[in-house]
Amino acid sequence: MPELTVLIVDDSSVMRKIVERALRQAGLDLTRVIEAGSGREALTILARERVQLIVSDINMPVMDGLEFLRQAQSQSLAQGAPVVMITTESGEEHVREALKAGAQGYIRKPFTPDQVRDHVLPLLSPA
Amino acid sequence: MIAVAARAEEAGRREAQLDRAVHEVFSAMMAVDCLPVDDSVVPERETISAVIGLAGALSGSMVLHGGICAAISMTERLTGMAPDGLNAMVCDAVGEVCNMIAGAWKGVDPLLASGCLLSTPTVVAGSSYELFSQRAPLRMERSYRFADCLFGITLFCESCA
Repeated sequence: MPELTVLIVDDSSVMRKIVERALRQAGLDLTRVIEAGSGREALTILARERVQLIVSDINMPVMDGLEFLRQAQSQSLAQGAPVVMITTESGEEHVREALKAGAQGYIRKPFTPDQVRDHVLPLLSPA
Repeated sequence: MIAVAARAEEAGRREAQLDRAVHEVFSAMMAVDCLPVDDSVVPERETISAVIGLAGALSGSMVLHGGICAAISMTERLTGMAPDGLNAMVCDAVGEVCNMIAGAWKGVDPLLASGCLLSTPTVVAGSSYELFSQRAPLRMERSYRFADCLFGITLFCESCA
């Protein structure tokens, strides 16, 4: 697996640690982990950093994950990095909205490392 | 009589959904079984409560309530790190556990999955407090055990779909 820099966006610092742990357990070689506590903070980070994977929650204060994703796409900040939403929202409508906003993957909490692996690894494989 | 029976059946269904949600969260995120028990949560000197608001198709709140030992155990199992006491990380972890249980619980019902929104968690910790919920005609309380820890979940429903 290639080394990669991941941006993890979640207002919960515990959940950011859990996601990092799950990504590592899924077999990803994380060179660098950048954390953001809100969508707004994540946009600021993306303006100056290059990442290979973005994992974001949806329900966050200040700016939620969908708005973050829309703005990241409109400002071309994601630079081709796949985006995976990890969230408690499981309704089909939420999934549709996330995919419409530009997410390539959607994982519902709670999740196992195997589920993270199955959703994330295919997005990182060379075409 | 029919209405009473229907309400009892509805309550039983909601309880079963909650039991499944709790088990799902603990088995997936903490690799431990968590099952309902008849024991009441023993009051400890210091306790912690996480509250998630529910709005939309269902109005109310879900409260996870337990002692500090249960909270620390959840935190350690979730993060792989052992907190040395009640701190911001423990409060955050308990809030997230309540958040995931609420999400898993409502996710079983397609109407609630799309139509019921969750608030961000609010966590209260201390040695002397009580939580009140106004206008909650329906109240469901369950106790759970994982490893040697007990905690409780209370669901306040103003109206349930």
